[in-house]
Amino acid sequence: MSAQLLAYTPLLLKAALVTIWLSWLALLIGAVGGTLVALARMSTFLPLRLLALLFTEFFRSLPILIVLFFVFFGVPLIFGLDLSPFAATTIALALHATSTMSEVIRAGLESVGKGQWEAARAAGMTYWQMMRHVIVPQALRVILPPSVGVYIATLKESSLASIIGYVELTKTGLLIRETMGSSFVPLLLLALIYFLINYGISLGGAALERRFHVNTRLMTAGAGQ
Amino acid sequence: MQPYYFSFRSIYPYLGDLAAAAEITLLLSLLAIVLSVAIGSGIALMRRSTSRLLRFFAGLYVEVMRNTPLLVILYIVYFALPQLGLRLSSFNAALIGLTLNSAGYMAEIIRAGLVAVPSGQFEAAFSQGFTRVQLYRHIILPQVFRTIYAPLGNQFIAVILASSLASAVAVEEVASWMQTVGSSSFRFFETFIIAAVVYLVLCQIVNLGRIAIGRWLFRQPEAYR
Repeated sequence: MSAQLLAYTPLLLKAALVTIWLSWLALLIGAVGGTLVALARMSTFLPLRLLALLFTEFFRSLPILIVLFFVFFGVPLIFGLDLSPFAATTIALALHATSTMSEVIRAGLESVGKGQWEAARAAGMTYWQMMRHVIVPQALRVILPPSVGVYIATLKESSLASIIGYVELTKTGLLIRETMGSSFVPLLLLALIYFLINYGISLGGAALERRFHVNTRLMTAGAGQ
Repeated sequence: MQPYYFSFRSIYPYLGDLAAAAEITLLLSLLAIVLSVAIGSGIALMRRSTSRLLRFFAGLYVEVMRNTPLLVILYIVYFALPQLGLRLSSFNAALIGLTLNSAGYMAEIIRAGLVAVPSGQFEAAFSQGFTRVQLYRHIILPQVFRTIYAPLGNQFIAVILASSLASAVAVEEVASWMQTVGSSSFRFFETFIIAAVVYLVLCQIVNLGRIAIGRWLFRQPEAYR
């Protein structure tokens, strides 16, 4: 049995790359979207602020699976837009990552003291100069640790793609399980691969934190779906 | 492409199933929350034990649970335990998986609460002649409770959201209701909205309840926000 499993290892490793790529893409979209939503949350224009608040609260209190079902099964039916399982998962994960990243980025921007914003303004900086040279470099140190957590969460959440039939790491493990006569050993291997990837990411994140001399590790709760 | 017409009427026949599904979601989440708080407390205490072995296994447990997807854990419980001779209903398998996963997070939250109590408090209580039980009952736990109150609430919400994954192991809860009714009636928009409302209501009950009870329990608003 273990020889058979060994033969499948390259397949699993390839599937792991698919999972990493999928979650990385969702995180990138989430980081860009999250920045926009965070800026909207901090805007002086009330409707924009409310809209951003609604967006974050909505996607934070919704299971990703529900969103995924809607994007994959509902959107083709309603908008006539056929989405591949890959696209549907990316969208669902990115929506959720956007809402969590917006909170992370907002906390980062707000951690920079008000005096810094005022001083930059008083020094005659434009908005972009202020962001580029004063705010963002300081905010990044606060944003970095929790975003590693968001990436790990997104990577774990990408396992949901298997439910709508996209062949990533979890689905590959389930398929291998079936070919091997319903043994559960492939599932243990699956858990091990996820663990190694995520543990590696968190070690990498810790190294980055040391590099940037961050010593506050913000706790991110979540059963991680 | 035909335009999409809303028709909540076609969902009416399924509302009875929805009530049953919502009940299962609620029961599953409640049980998982209670059990994972209990197990998480045990693991948090193990992580502070003087035995190196206990500390190691508790730490390993937390890292494994935080770095593997819940879905994979659910599949392992669902497929592996019956092979080891333990017959489980879908519900029990989902409950075990959800509890094991959430206990890892609960342990971290509770440990953070214990760490926040200065060691001088322990020493002072011992020098006053407190027994271990008295020490925890009167000195430590009230302080721990204050620290963990807010993150615990977040974790409760995370468990409710994560319970949606039970649909992957054939538990007929709200996410599963959405998928079966959606695919048999082609009413994915309507079922999505209804399922979303169920989860939003459940999460907001926890959220608002936490704030209301916190306002009654604590004087400083930081403790419950």
